[in-house]
Amino acid sequence: MKLKMSKSTRRIAVIVNYGCILMILVFFGIGKYEGWSAPLVAGAIAAAIVAVVSFILLHMGTRLWKLVHTKVDKLDEREVQITHESLRNSYAIFTVISLLVLMCIALLAGRDDSFLMFIFASLLYLAHTLPSSIIAWTEREI
Amino acid sequence: MRLRRIYNRISVLREERGISRKELAAEIGVNFQTVGYLEREEYSPSLDLAFRISEYFGVPIELVFSTSPMRPLSQEILDYRSKKGE
Repeated sequence: MKLKMSKSTRRIAVIVNYGCILMILVFFGIGKYEGWSAPLVAGAIAAAIVAVVSFILLHMGTRLWKLVHTKVDKLDEREVQITHESLRNSYAIFTVISLLVLMCIALLAGRDDSFLMFIFASLLYLAHTLPSSIIAWTEREI
Repeated sequence: MRLRRIYNRISVLREERGISRKELAAEIGVNFQTVGYLEREEYSPSLDLAFRISEYFGVPIELVFSTSPMRPLSQEILDYRSKKGE
C-alpha cells in the first residue's frame, strides 16, 4: 500500500535520513580514530535504526524509490518530467558533494601533490562538460 | 523556461461521462495521479497527451484546452447557438 505523506513530512524525513547517515559516518570516524565506547556504539546503532526506518517510510512507503528506478518507457510524461528534473538536481548536488569530499580527503591525508590536483581539476571539468558532450554526441542539430 | 498555463475542462468532461480518474487514466495511458495534476491545472500536457484526451472525449482539442481561462460550457453553447441564429 502506498503511504501518503505531506510535502513537509517528506522533507523532515529527508533531513532525518541524511542526518542519520551523517551521524553514522561521524560515529564511525570517531570510533575508528578515537576508539569505540558504549555510548558511541549505542548512538551508531540508534542512528542506523532511524536511518533504515526513515528510508523505508520515505523511499519505499511512498514508492518514490520505484518511481526513480523505473525505466522511462514505463512512466507517463509527468513522471518522466519530475524524475528528469530530480536527476538534473541530483547530478549537480552529487558532483559538488563528491568533489568536496575528495578535496577534504586529499587535505586530511596531507597530500598536496600536483597529480591529485590534476585529478580534481579533471573531475570538475568532466562534471561541467559531460551534459553538453552528451548532447553533442546524440543530437543531429543543435 | 517558463511555460504558459494551460487551462482545461477535463474534470467537467470526466464527471459528465461519469468515469473515475483511474478509469480515465487507464484510457489515456497515464498514472491516475497525473489526471489529478491535469485537472488542477498544475501540469500542462504534451501535445500528444492533449490529443489523446480530446480524442477520448470525442471533442475538438480547443474545447478541452485553452491558454485563457475556460468559460462555462453552457455559455459556449449559448454563443454557438446565437452565432448559428437559433
